[in-house]
Amino acid sequence: MSTLTTAIDAISMFFFLIGIAFVFLGMIGLLRLPDVYNRLHATTKIGTVGAFSVMIGIVLKVGLSAMGLKAITVGLFLLLTAPIAAHMIARAAHRHGVGLCDESIMDDYGKTYK
Amino acid sequence: MISELFYIVLVFMVLSMIPCVYRVIVGPTIPDRVVALDAMTTVIVVTLGVYSFVQESIFFLDVALVLSIISFIGTVTISKYLDEGTVF
Amino acid sequence: MKQYVIYSVTLGATWCFLHGAINLPNFLIGLVLGLLVIRPFKELYDIDKQTSYRNIIFRIPKLVRYFSMLIVEIIKASIVVAKIVLQPKIDIHPGIIAVPVRTTKDLSITAIANTITLTPGTLTIDVSNDRSALYIHSIDVSDPKELRDSIRDDLEEYVLEAFE
Repeated sequence: MSTLTTAIDAISMFFFLIGIAFVFLGMIGLLRLPDVYNRLHATTKIGTVGAFSVMIGIVLKVGLSAMGLKAITVGLFLLLTAPIAAHMIARAAHRHGVGLCDESIMDDYGKTYK
Repeated sequence: MISELFYIVLVFMVLSMIPCVYRVIVGPTIPDRVVALDAMTTVIVVTLGVYSFVQESIFFLDVALVLSIISFIGTVTISKYLDEGTVF
Repeated sequence: MKQYVIYSVTLGATWCFLHGAINLPNFLIGLVLGLLVIRPFKELYDIDKQTSYRNIIFRIPKLVRYFSMLIVEIIKASIVVAKIVLQPKIDIHPGIIAVPVRTTKDLSITAIANTITLTPGTLTIDVSNDRSALYIHSIDVSDPKELRDSIRDDLEEYVLEAFE
């Protein structure tokens, strides 16, 4: 019994640390990548996965109590809304006139809508 | 010992908020600032989750849920305003 | 009527999760509140559409397969982007390409767009006016044809199976 508890504790610690590391990497990406669209890649994907991973860590630690259920809800909500927010910002930025960075190769959207 | 580890984690989260603040202040364009604010909310939600686990209190998770909802609505509203010039 | 039942069962489950305790009284309160919530926002839901419960239940295994694929892809995506962020000198070739899609249903297009955003190195920007193509920003477009092929063969198949 106690070995099982220790194993679950270890797994949830692993999820916690993975999540924190991913969130930190996402924020470094926000700092380092060259333009809005690439920064969106960093924050939407890595940030959301990090947050979801931390929530899974909490759920594994406390079980399906009130706190665990709320943690699942927060994680699922973040996972569901992050792509929509990213799509809205990207479209608004492109129509607002924010160009792509110098390394970019092609731009089909600009050809169609300008 | 576990709780000391979690306090180190909280320090780490605050450190990862610094790039967001930098982007909000410096960010060359307005969409950059919106992205940074959105990312900042994610960091704050994670911080609140960890903190509510350390304190064994459920109320911080409620705050995290409401904050994520408000951040989503705010992001969509600002994007619509940038896009069309009006919100509704 | 069937649509009302399906949506309010979903909203009842959501209420249970938000309240923090899964039991029957909570679920019934959620069910009643769900009906009250659906009523004023009728235009947002497809109330008149006919679906059968059999259809929905038969779709569950395909949905499970879709979501397991999605989880694997999300983890891959994070590792790909994390590797790019950690490079000492960032060397990327981003760009926006148009990718044709085969369906015109709202739900399927939404699912495909969200799946694309959560998978490695791609981000949906917009749908074309005639709904025949999605505009996708990718971190690496040095080979556009291969990117189009991978999206068509891997993602679209699963989504169409699960939501059509």
